[in-house]
Parts: sequence; C-alpha cells; structure tokens
Amino acid sequence: MDRTQNRTDYKCGSLPKDAPLAMAYVPMQDSANPSYESLEALSRGTLFPGLDLPLMNIVNDNLQACPMTELMAIDFAADELELYLDTHCDDSEAFAMYQTFLALKKEARSRYAKQYGPISQENMLGAKCYDWLKEPWPWDYQSKMEV
Amino acid sequence: MFVYEKKLQYPVKIKNTNPALAKFIISQYGGPDGELGASLRYLSQRYSMPYPELKGLLTDIGTEELGHLEMIGAIVHQLTRNMTVEEIKKAGFQDYFVDHTAGVYPTAASGSPWSAAGMEVKGDVIADLNEDMAAEQKARVTYDNILRLSDDPDVNNVIRYLREREIVHYQRFGEGLRRALEKLDEKNFYAINPAFDK
Repeated sequence: MDRTQNRTDYKCGSLPKDAPLAMAYVPMQDSANPSYESLEALSRGTLFPGLDLPLMNIVNDNLQACPMTELMAIDFAADELELYLDTHCDDSEAFAMYQTFLALKKEARSRYAKQYGPISQENMLGAKCYDWLKEPWPWDYQSKMEV
Repeated sequence: MFVYEKKLQYPVKIKNTNPALAKFIISQYGGPDGELGASLRYLSQRYSMPYPELKGLLTDIGTEELGHLEMIGAIVHQLTRNMTVEEIKKAGFQDYFVDHTAGVYPTAASGSPWSAAGMEVKGDVIADLNEDMAAEQKARVTYDNILRLSDDPDVNNVIRYLREREIVHYQRFGEGLRRALEKLDEKNFYAINPAFDK
C-alpha cells in the first residue's frame, strides 16, 4: 500500500440521503477490514488504514520488534478493536478478530512476565520474590537498558 | 476500579535532554486540551450517560487517555531528568524549575496549573458527545503545533502516535453520537434529554 494514501473500501463511509439537519454527522466505519498488522498499527497509532490521517503525510517508521513492542502491539490491536466494538457490537467479524488478539495477548503477557518480570501484579502468582519493584519502570528508559 | 499495568501504551525512549521542548509539551499533561482533562472529562461523563455503548466508549477512551497522560509524563521526565543549571537557563526553563525542579506537574505551557475549567460535563447526551468531539480536535491541533515546534525525532514519533489517537477517538465519538440518535425520537432529537428526562 502507498503509505501516504489511505484509500480503503470504507473510507467514504455511508451517508444516508436523509442525514438530519442540526446534527453533527460522522459516517460509521463500515468494517474492521482492512487493518494493519499489529506492529505497524502500533507504530502508526491506528489499526485502520482509513483513519490513518497524518499531519503533512509524515508517518512513523515501524517500531523495532522486541519482546516489549510485540506485547504492546498485541495489546494495542485489542484496545483498538475494543473501541471499534463499543460502537459496532454486532460486527461478528470484528469480534472474531478481537478473540484472536485476546488469545495472543494472554499468551504474550505470560511469556513476557516469565522472562522480564511482571506487567501486572497478578503475574507474580508463583514468583520466587516480590519482583514488582524490579527496574526499569515504564517512564525510566535508559538507552543502555533496552528491554 | 483501575489496575495498573507496568508498561506504556507506546514506547517513549528519548536520548537527548531538552528542557526547551519539555516547556511546551507539558501542556498535554496539564493544559486545557491535555490528557488529564481528556481522561477526567470522559470518565466523569459516564455517570449520567444512559446508553451502554456510550458508557463503554467513555470508559475505554477515558482509560486510554490515562495511559497517554503517563506517556506525556514520561516524555517530560526524559527530557528534563539530566538537565544542568546551564541548560535550564539557556532553555528559559527557570520559571518551571524554581517551582517543580525536575518533577512533572500538571500545568499548561502558558503557566496556569491544570484546571477543570478546560473541560465540561454537561449532563446532556448530545452536548457531551459534541464536547468530546471538539476536545479530540483541540488535542489533535495541540499535537500538530508540537510537531511544528519540535525537532527531536525521539519525541516526534510519540507525538505523531498520540495525534493519530485523537483522530480515531473523534471517529468513535461521532459513531457514538449516531448510536445515541438511534435511540431518540427521529423527528426531533432535541425533544428530551435522555440523561435527565426518564
């Protein structure tokens, strides 16, 4: 896909002939497809190419894949689908996609926690010590401390 | 209730100290269109919102905004944590420094501390959703303006990400308004306020 163009099937939305007067009107997004792959979605800030509308068409390069960004990407795809489903709760295709990401999320989270320490306090079930306090905290990035 | 996750929504990894940048990026922490106000606006609007789709949307977006608040805090922290007195003077960061040192405090770039005056909970379904759509646009413009002023690529990729989230949220609030209208009198959407007239 041309990275500066976002033409998708649903971009035009669906405006009924009788859209009401005196009311803001944002067309419904018709479908959760097409969608970006999860790391690209996280890098660009949306799962949906049709909503990807960057300032001056300058976009982020893909984030480097590492255990943390992979986990973030899966979480992000699930979060993005949650917002979509809040306004499209009957979209069974999107719900199936959401189920896939929930399963991936569970697996990625327990794998990450075993190797690098807990993401949430419940990850400490069965841990040898209270490693919740283990550095780094999320805001404490150090260039030499790549996770 | 809320449960903390020990990770950011998107990575913040800033190599270079730059208090001059922190001086205006702090506005998205505690300014009128910042992430703190966004989160409190949506989480507070939930109580009078009558429809489940909108309770869900306000909860999910309000929660995400708290994650964005943490990301902005991380940016300000990483831009200022190693600054020297010389850098503070050169950047004109003295006014902030004298009150907050290298702490992260919710204030607008213009110096006024965070205020609920920058947000609204009107208790009316249509008015609140229009407020939310406008809020997303104002936050988007603030990020546009930050991108015009900042030349640090480590900062800008995070800002581009946050800016894009505003556009997605705008779409969702617009859709939320459509969902609300489906439940109202289609001949006159303004006949009642379903958050009050039961």
